[in-house]
Amino acid sequence: MNYFVKGNPDLCIGCRTCMIGCVVAHEGLHIFEIDPDSYTFNPRLKVIKTARITVPVQCKHCENPACMAVCPENCIQLVENAVVINTDKCIGCKTCMMACPYGAIEMQPDSGHRVQTDGSPRMVANKCDLCINSKRGPECVRVCPTEALTLVTEEDLEKENAKKRIAAARALAEVNG
Amino acid sequence: MRNEMGSFVAADNTKCTGCKACEMACFAVHNQGNHVGNTVGTVELPITARLYVTRAEELCMPVQCRHCDNSPCLNSCTAGAIRREEEKIIIDEDKCIGCKNCMMACPFGAIELVPVYRAGKEVLLPGSTEVRKTASKCDLCVKRGIPACVNACPNQALSLVTPEAELADKRIQAALALALTNQA
Repeated sequence: MNYFVKGNPDLCIGCRTCMIGCVVAHEGLHIFEIDPDSYTFNPRLKVIKTARITVPVQCKHCENPACMAVCPENCIQLVENAVVINTDKCIGCKTCMMACPYGAIEMQPDSGHRVQTDGSPRMVANKCDLCINSKRGPECVRVCPTEALTLVTEEDLEKENAKKRIAAARALAEVNG
Repeated sequence: MRNEMGSFVAADNTKCTGCKACEMACFAVHNQGNHVGNTVGTVELPITARLYVTRAEELCMPVQCRHCDNSPCLNSCTAGAIRREEEKIIIDEDKCIGCKNCMMACPFGAIELVPVYRAGKEVLLPGSTEVRKTASKCDLCVKRGIPACVNACPNQALSLVTPEAELADKRIQAALALALTNQA
């Protein structure tokens, strides 16, 4: 089963440290040394703020991903419990972006700053990859000051379901007397 | 306006022996399209039941979907894959994207992600060698009538609860009891 990062709206204070952590993890520390106007800030999760809720939203790494099913170039694959976009193959067609019900994918300039033949930046689909290339795990989870983000694994879900079932059985046993 | 309540299967822990006949029956009826018949030799796919015989120190009984009237699973589904059909909560496995929201939203642990099989064969994700998965839960044997688990239980530990009928019975009993208090 795929893993995913889950935000807790009761703990999130909307500070957006996760978004900055995400960009630094994927782009490197050099983003602090360049002209901000020359660079597109491209976090792979977005802190959502409404009157009722504040929480980051990101890819759920679905088991049957809508993005993967619609990609005409087969750029989206399952890699180590994550749904990962191969941006080298991405043609920027936006179909995955429209298919994702979470709004977890958006188009961003290629991080290699490559350009197209007409000189415009190469745009590719961008989404959470669970920081699979980092030994430290998802950076958003690591940097959140209120510990509002957690990496949810298959084992976590299984344990949670087992606990719920025992609670449900005990409650029903009370009813049965 | 909708005012019917959803039926559900409930277990009686005082009768359940933990034999898992309910789980086997559930698996068998939902996999007839996968050539699962009445003998073990016909089973060529993983056994995935839609109810879970649950053990705690002091009890043992199956736990399954309550077909909630204000369903957390339905309300948490972003893919529109969970619908209410005659007060039953049904997952559309073709629409499910496997995001696991429903699984986390359900307070009973009644939803699991299971591999998809059609005609006895694994269904693969497009362009991948990975097996497709879908959220799966009790559908009250919507295509069969009486739920298979209820039929299969050798100790009648499972019953299909029809809330309206149960309430009507309780109220008649209450009315009769109240009549006795007026006789003095």
